[in-house]
Amino acid sequence: MIATVRDDPTVVDLVERARDGDQGAWDGIVERYAALVWAVCRRHGLSGPDAEEVASCVWLRLVERLDGIREPAALPGWLATTTRRECLYYLRTKNRLVPVEDDERIVQGDDPAADEWLLRQERHIALRAGFAELSDKCRWLLSMLFREPPASYSEISAELGMAVGAIGPSRQRCLDKLRTSRALAALLDPPAAGAAGAAGAGGAAGMDKR
Amino acid sequence: MNDDELLSELGEAVRAAEEVPASFVAAGRAAFAWRNLDAELAALTYDSATSGVLAGTRSEPAALRALTFVARELTIELEVTPDALLGQVVPPQAGELELLGRDGSARTASVDEIGWFAVRPAPVGMFRLRLRTADGASVLTEWTTL
Repeated sequence: MIATVRDDPTVVDLVERARDGDQGAWDGIVERYAALVWAVCRRHGLSGPDAEEVASCVWLRLVERLDGIREPAALPGWLATTTRRECLYYLRTKNRLVPVEDDERIVQGDDPAADEWLLRQERHIALRAGFAELSDKCRWLLSMLFREPPASYSEISAELGMAVGAIGPSRQRCLDKLRTSRALAALLDPPAAGAAGAAGAGGAAGMDKR
Repeated sequence: MNDDELLSELGEAVRAAEEVPASFVAAGRAAFAWRNLDAELAALTYDSATSGVLAGTRSEPAALRALTFVARELTIELEVTPDALLGQVVPPQAGELELLGRDGSARTASVDEIGWFAVRPAPVGMFRLRLRTADGASVLTEWTTL
């Protein structure tokens, strides 16, 4: 495996341990990317048992490809492409209509809107991973601030026992920590070339066919 | 990305993950039990159902589905007919074949000395093949969906 600057070391570690048979590491991979697989299913109108069926096929394919992952940064692209294919297959066999143009465009993966969507999903994955590594205090504070509607400073002050004047600076400190987290650092300040390419419309980059 | 944008996108990301049903994640965890430990994996290198799409020319709807799986020492060629899965092991050799389903089902078939085998009826949905050759090699194909 070649770890690149875009690779969160946590993912490299999870993949290596899963290869050695560590179920806990595999669970970590699933938890990290399940929301992406779910989002692709939802985009194809699948949920409930239909989405679970599709997801099982996707994860089975990943289990057997664990040894072929060269760059963990290629994982989201591969998962998105594989999930799209399984969704389309599922819809076809259920005799639901799938427009042919859509089908071909998606399989070929040269849709700029889809690339944009995938980059956003990758950012979400990194944001959640970075958020999970923050202190309890930061997570509580940010959760109150990003909830809809956001909590007022006086509510936060009462809930967290924090002076109102300290909330602004704490907010900034916590967001700075999030930005410099291992998961986010590479994504937010990408190396000059290749960041978008690695998002991999085709999704095959960094995954050995074997 | 400024602080406000970062915070707002963080909220969006966290809420998106909260919407994922627990059973959906559990199905993913369970897939690890299917990890293949003892057999060499044979990769799907050709599938008539997708090669037409990628080349921009769709195959005729009536055409039989053909698949090729490649391992280091051997290749398995498959042809799906309406009532059977027909196969050829290359180079030709005898062995035992198992057709494994997602539900844990398994059906066996013999591979004759010239490498031919037939599984009737053809599988439905996702399946994989495990081939044990007469000289003791064990090969498992990728999961494939018909």
